[in-house]
Amino acid sequence: MIRLAWKNALLRPGRTVLIVLSVAAVLAEILVLEGFLAGSYTQLRQAVLRRGGDVMVAQAGVTNFLATRSILPQQTRAAVEAIPGVSGTHPLAALAAIYEAGDLRTPIIVLVYDDAGGPAGIMSGRPPTEDGEIAVDHALAERYGLVPGDTLTLSDYDFTISGITRGEAALFTPFAFMNFDTLIEFYFDSDVASDIAAFPLLSFLAVDAAPGTDPAELAERITAQVADAQAILPKDLALNDEGLGRELLGPILNLLLGLSYGIGAMAIGMFTFAAVRSRRKTLGVLRALGFTARDIVTGIVAEAVAIAVAAIPPGLLLAIGLAALIEWVAPVYLLQVMEPRALLQTALVAVVLAVLGALAPLRMLMRLDPATAFRE
Amino acid sequence: MLNWTLRELISAPQQLLASVAAVAGAFALVLFFEGIFAGESEQIVALIERTEGDVWVMQKGVGNMHMATSFVSDWKIDAVADVEGVEKVTPILYLNSAIEAGGRSWFSFVVGLEAGDGRAGPWKHAGGAPLPGPGTAIVPDIFAADAGLAIGGTVRIAGRDFAVAGFSADTFSMANSITYVTMSDLADTMSSIGSVSYMLVDATPGVDPAALAGRIMDQVENVNALTRAEFSARDYSIAVQMGLEIVWIMTLIGGALAVLLTGFIVYSHISERERELAVMKALGVRNRAIYASTMLQALAIGAMAFLLAVALMTAAVPLTEWLMPKVSLAMTGAALIRTGVTALIVSLVASIIPVRRVLSVDPVTAFQQ
Repeated sequence: MIRLAWKNALLRPGRTVLIVLSVAAVLAEILVLEGFLAGSYTQLRQAVLRRGGDVMVAQAGVTNFLATRSILPQQTRAAVEAIPGVSGTHPLAALAAIYEAGDLRTPIIVLVYDDAGGPAGIMSGRPPTEDGEIAVDHALAERYGLVPGDTLTLSDYDFTISGITRGEAALFTPFAFMNFDTLIEFYFDSDVASDIAAFPLLSFLAVDAAPGTDPAELAERITAQVADAQAILPKDLALNDEGLGRELLGPILNLLLGLSYGIGAMAIGMFTFAAVRSRRKTLGVLRALGFTARDIVTGIVAEAVAIAVAAIPPGLLLAIGLAALIEWVAPVYLLQVMEPRALLQTALVAVVLAVLGALAPLRMLMRLDPATAFRE
Repeated sequence: MLNWTLRELISAPQQLLASVAAVAGAFALVLFFEGIFAGESEQIVALIERTEGDVWVMQKGVGNMHMATSFVSDWKIDAVADVEGVEKVTPILYLNSAIEAGGRSWFSFVVGLEAGDGRAGPWKHAGGAPLPGPGTAIVPDIFAADAGLAIGGTVRIAGRDFAVAGFSADTFSMANSITYVTMSDLADTMSSIGSVSYMLVDATPGVDPAALAGRIMDQVENVNALTRAEFSARDYSIAVQMGLEIVWIMTLIGGALAVLLTGFIVYSHISERERELAVMKALGVRNRAIYASTMLQALAIGAMAFLLAVALMTAAVPLTEWLMPKVSLAMTGAALIRTGVTALIVSLVASIIPVRRVLSVDPVTAFQQ
């Protein structure tokens, strides 16, 4: 039966290619959604992990890095540095802003850093070192056509773009980076000056542990000894932010994935139905030759599985191409279509869908009359 | 020819059903994706829309609430109240933050209300206290159900624990549910004593909100004032812009999928009927007529699939609300038009796929054994 299916596939190569491409498109669409989910979680984790440090100190009770407000008293830095096992601290501040130009508005997260915790990768230009400079992510630069040397206005304050960063975005929001001198200047010179008391100057401290110090133990010591602060390992903070992303994106993307799986099953069902219908006479001959209905069903299922398996490589290639297109058009997104868990899951789902789809014409196959072979 | 087309189309009803269902699935996927963005975008402006203030006042240079930070010194409340045409000023403190309950975190707009003043508070009560008191919070009913929170349960906002005192309805969205606490509690949590974030202004009856907004900006230093419609439109546009590219790309993917599926079914019909087509050609039927027939088949499949997708979506909106209340789904006219146009383009492109097959049919084969 399998040889027969193979020969049939070669007999009509155009049709076979169309079927494989269609299944590949369904798989690519599933992989893109899975990649979108995996990429979003990675961005959330990287937003924390790229800031460095063995321990991260936040306002007491704050367990997220993004989408939350953490304000540490200025004296916290000295208090943390006095704790045995701390070799250095790096201040960080985070604030949300809306960048607006023409009719376009984009929320951005501004990360303020001193000597560590800045952008992980620069595409062009350099990190912000001078007063009044800001580095913006490629996602924002691409949307507004910004390049190093351009002016970026926030709250009526004109920043000079020093560089364009790569991959610094999360939650559909690009990041921007500046140093503390620029932040102070921004607070005093912009429209926020009259209400400055409410704005954060220190949100987090990235702490370097002294050689031989266990970061987990150090975090516990900091939490116990520093008032109004809480120390947490960066990987745990990253996982908390990922959890936030799962609450936001999980139900929606899972709903869409469920729908995609349904489309896949229906599409494969349609192909096998069409295949069986067009080969009724051939299948009738097989029945007349003594093949049982079960043999024929097995052959059809095997054929559908073969189509699904054959569709995996082009599906993956298509997904990689689509992911590259999406990241090119909208660099704020990261699509990890090569994520091993998603790949394996999609491959398995493809096979299951093929089996389910192949059962669509089951009734027709079971009722197949050997006499069909002798009818005109 | 038209009869032949229709007969062909319904000659294998199960296959036609599977084809239409698969193509409809691709369209529904696009409508779903766009519907989720539209639903979430509508919920993002729920606070602005449902509180029905005439003018919103905020820090100069700020023009949004979603993902924005605004602080205005509290002495400006009286300055705004003194502007001619202002009937009432309701200040709120606002924090865009993650809130935690039961070991999980959700995004939330946290709104600090003046004690006992419900003007900017929940517009739909769903149990417990209607307004927050000291150390307590009013949370969305859907969030409470998801987090397993009852009255007296604990939510953590920016590191501080609040007891749940009551539930509000129509205030939940995946991106931003609305949690209410007292202004003094939130000011304490945010270390922002002496500031408010926004002021909701009710105009005296008969006063034009746009003119009032202009007067407020003229008379009160360093503030921005927007009418409700402007403020809401700005936040809505941000939410929509955040998902714009991905919606277009999903439309492209769904459309490509639909092209392949529709193309396949039309191609199958042509392949199975080569002999009939040869007879037709031998009888003088032109390629153009046969090609028009394949286009008609593709258009019929596209139209049926589009209608089925719309029907699915129409059913999905209340069903999702019932089965998955966390997900806000909305169907917009723009989404329907875009998907309808996509369906038309899909059908026309799909009908090109079997063209070569049609052209390659030789009339002589009708007379060969």
